Amino acid sequence: MVADTGKTLRADAYKPVNAPEPLKVEENAAGQPAAIRIKRRQAVATIEDKWRLDDEWWRAEPISRIYYNVLLASGQRLVLYKDLITGAWYQQEY
Amino acid sequence: MRILCVLLPHFPWRCEVRRNPTLAGKPALVVQSKDVAGSPKLVLDWAPELDGLQTGMPLQQALALHGQAALISADIPCYRAAFHEILDALEHISPLVEEADLACAYVGIDGLQLIYPDDNAIIAAVRAAVPEAFLPRMGIAGNKFLAYLAARRSPPGGHQVFPGDAAPLLKDLPCDVLPVSLKSLEKLREFGLKTLGQVTTLPTGPVQSQFGPEGKRIWELAAGIDNTPLYPRMMETAREESATLPSVTVSLEAILFTVETLLRRVFDSLISKGMGVRSLDLWTRTWNAEQWERTIRFKEPAMDLKNALARVKRILEDYPQPGPVEQVGMKITGLGYPRGRQRSLFSDMRAREHLAEDIKQLESRLGNPQIYKVKEVEPWSRIPERRYALTPTSR
Repeated sequence: MVADTGKTLRADAYKPVNAPEPLKVEENAAGQPAAIRIKRRQAVATIEDKWRLDDEWWRAEPISRIYYNVLLASGQRLVLYKDLITGAWYQQEY
Repeated sequence: MRILCVLLPHFPWRCEVRRNPTLAGKPALVVQSKDVAGSPKLVLDWAPELDGLQTGMPLQQALALHGQAALISADIPCYRAAFHEILDALEHISPLVEEADLACAYVGIDGLQLIYPDDNAIIAAVRAAVPEAFLPRMGIAGNKFLAYLAARRSPPGGHQVFPGDAAPLLKDLPCDVLPVSLKSLEKLREFGLKTLGQVTTLPTGPVQSQFGPEGKRIWELAAGIDNTPLYPRMMETAREESATLPSVTVSLEAILFTVETLLRRVFDSLISKGMGVRSLDLWTRTWNAEQWERTIRFKEPAMDLKNALARVKRILEDYPQPGPVEQVGMKITGLGYPRGRQRSLFSDMRAREHLAEDIKQLESRLGNPQIYKVKEVEPWSRIPERRYALTPTSR
């Protein structure tokens, strides 16, 4: 048996860039982000932008997200989205 | 192009007879062992009157046929030096001399009509250049393969000229005369193709499809076509140094000390010319006349003793001697000037090459990909994580 030289082109040799990271978000009554928790709780001061992304609806796992560009009370800007299929929140640069 | 092939049959044995005339007429085998301790001895050459022998045959097998034969250890540097003397002499006849193998040379004889009006004059000149004791066989033809066959068919000391269309002469020759791989020769036998004539009756296509790229060459050679150009010897300054040790030794330090002395002599003469050593053939001879030889090539010409010696030391450590060493020698086969460290207009490119080399080295030591680069996968995608990916730099 030939030992694996590590040179074979495999899918796992690739690593994603800008993969979404799970985030704890408190929603308001309208389902929009009211506060987030990264180490500590930070309130969302303003929602500066909002857009919806629906894609790959023909696949078994379609993509349906609502992105928010938010300004936190601390002055930090953040792009986060809610996965409309699972209901989970993620942080991701757009 | 017209080519003269000079074959010197039983060259090693004849060199031995020249050195020791009492061997003449006696059954003797010239034997050689690979430069690994304990490896079996192989037959390199033999006295012409002994039959049934082949070059590379194990000594045991040869002794089974000729048990009474005396054994002579091959002295390759000596044979090579003698052959180079002959090549030097042939270069006085034509500047185009190719050293094909030990005891086989090709000479380009085009355009020599004013000096040598006909083939007989050239043959006479070659006979005068090669010592009579070597009984050269000579062949003249339109290409190297035909010239070689003509030389093989000529009697010792004689010559043969193949005409332009040699196909009728070739058709009955066995396929074994073809200078192709052993595998192809075996395959020819398996197909029942015994003579060159049988090969040429087949169309080129099927031969090529059965034998791959070599198929075309097989067919062409069988038809007497050989487009291989003549590769004349390159003029180069060769320098040889050797020393006999005061006593036989297995000590690496003692051998290294001798090598250092020889190298110092070489570098002393090179320093004034501003040259360095690009490659050298290092050889040793053991007390029982076994030969060890290694060619050492330097990536950049070694300009000082320290650099050269460090490399030689590694080689001596990695390839042990077959026995106690009696003689050490070297032949400087390549000289060169120091490589200028030219700054590149495209410094980024050079830096990238160096970086890629370093990464490769890192990965070969640690295994898995270690350094990644960002690659555009679907930069137009609306889904952010699909736009780019990290891929191993070596892919």
